[in-house]
Amino acid sequence: MKRPAAIAALSILGAAALVTFPLWSSGWESSRYATTILRDMLVLAILALSLDLLVGSAGLPSLGHAAFFGAGAYAAAIAAQRLGSDDLLLGFAAAIVVSALLALVIGLFAVRAAGIFFLMLTLAFAQMVFALAFQAVDLTGGSNGLANVHRPMLFGLDFNGPEALFELVASVFVLVLLLLWRVRASTYGRALVGLRENERRMRALGYDTTRLKLSAFVLAGALAGVGGALSGWSLRFVSTNDVGIGRSIEAFVSVLIGGTGSLVGPAVGAVVVLFVERVLPSSIPFAETVLGVLFIVFVAAARQGIVGLARAAYARVRAP
Amino acid sequence: MTEGRVMIETRDLRREFGGVKALDGVSLTIAEGERRAIIGPNGAGKTTLFNILTGELEPTAGRVLLAGEDATRRSPHELARRGLARMYQRNELFEPLPARENVRLALAAAAGPYRPASPGPRDRAAAEVLLERVGLEGRGGVPARSLSHGERRQLELALALAQRPRVLLLDEPTAGMSPAETARITELIASFDRALTLVIVEHDMDVVFRLADRISVLHEGRVLVEGAPEAVRGDRTVNEVYLGKVVA
Repeated sequence: MKRPAAIAALSILGAAALVTFPLWSSGWESSRYATTILRDMLVLAILALSLDLLVGSAGLPSLGHAAFFGAGAYAAAIAAQRLGSDDLLLGFAAAIVVSALLALVIGLFAVRAAGIFFLMLTLAFAQMVFALAFQAVDLTGGSNGLANVHRPMLFGLDFNGPEALFELVASVFVLVLLLLWRVRASTYGRALVGLRENERRMRALGYDTTRLKLSAFVLAGALAGVGGALSGWSLRFVSTNDVGIGRSIEAFVSVLIGGTGSLVGPAVGAVVVLFVERVLPSSIPFAETVLGVLFIVFVAAARQGIVGLARAAYARVRAP
Repeated sequence: MTEGRVMIETRDLRREFGGVKALDGVSLTIAEGERRAIIGPNGAGKTTLFNILTGELEPTAGRVLLAGEDATRRSPHELARRGLARMYQRNELFEPLPARENVRLALAAAAGPYRPASPGPRDRAAAEVLLERVGLEGRGGVPARSLSHGERRQLELALALAQRPRVLLLDEPTAGMSPAETARITELIASFDRALTLVIVEHDMDVVFRLADRISVLHEGRVLVEGAPEAVRGDRTVNEVYLGKVVA
């Protein structure tokens, strides 16, 4: 079998194994727990993957990406509540439209700045969205959040059970991965890399770089919104945590630890981050500091991230 | 060379930087297909002029016309789409990307980035043709940053040519090159389609006299002298302010 075909076959097998995880793990003693943790990892992975489109591909370090995640989470939950419908497509549509529009508005200002100023602007706007979510009590429940978020249905399929919900989250994760894989290979994805490497030259070549950055910002925002909708359904709860700086940092750390150079890096990073945050504390003391140490190590010594390190190691093993 | 039609016109172009007059009323008329050299000592305003022509800098006053249409204060990407390309004095390349990918990005600019498709075999072939045109055949897989200085200048040229420009601004095309590299890139530029309008800023007078149809001498932000190469070479004031220092 040729290498691309082998990779394709492995990817399909991997995706199938992932989506059916609750089925084949059902014999395990901790299957329920593992399914829940893995589900949350995949939700964070979607957020991290969408952020990587900005940080990794286009070189736009956004520190406010949770604004769109939270906007999607609130939009899906509020739309379902107000319209009295648990339709899955309605939830996603609301999440995508609201988060994309928010990204468009914030992006119009933010993409005109570069580097550290872009970072500070995205952070500032996200804090404004946070404050808005905190104060618009009638809409968002304010500091109490929105409890009792209904899990969605689609054509009579009910995603209320933990297994069905996991399969939904995992399927969407695979679709997002597939979409981003296509984007990276496309002319558009290559143009984003050009933007990262030399914006001046891109302009001189005839690319409208402001519009290009804005489009990436909106696309990344919409995908983050999809992740947010899934988060609300997973936890049956949406709160200001979902738009807060903490969530933005979680996503950013996932991207950096996993590595920006590859498609799956940020997803691997998300798995590591949630493992350290949620699983490790039950077995070792001071687990909370592990993430900080990891972060420092990767920023200081391994910018290429886990996937970059793994690739380099693999290349060394294969080299004669 | 097509007679008559004006490709680039500047009218009383002025640019100040905090009181310093970089351009102090520059009026130029460059015909379609003409090869115009702009020479002058450092600080004469040559790069400022280029930056205004490409839209990277706004003039304090004055106008720019490209093929008869107003091009003052237009964004660089808009001017690029109207047929203006530029070879930078300091290379502006996509450093970690292979030479081939650098050229592909330049080729893809015309159709824009909003296409779902990945580059096909035709795009790839076009990139190879351009690399060969500038003498980089067989070097397509090398990252821009790993090319030699001369090769990087050649790649700069390939990016500009990939835009299929009507006007090509060359900012010191031979800067930092060895004599052999200089000779090669000069002949390469000389071999360009005569329909392409060239504006060349260059310090190497051999290169200038090899390429230029006409020469404008810029001094302290003004056009001091303008004319055919022989006339400029013989001009006394030009020799005093500039040439005298270079070709004694």
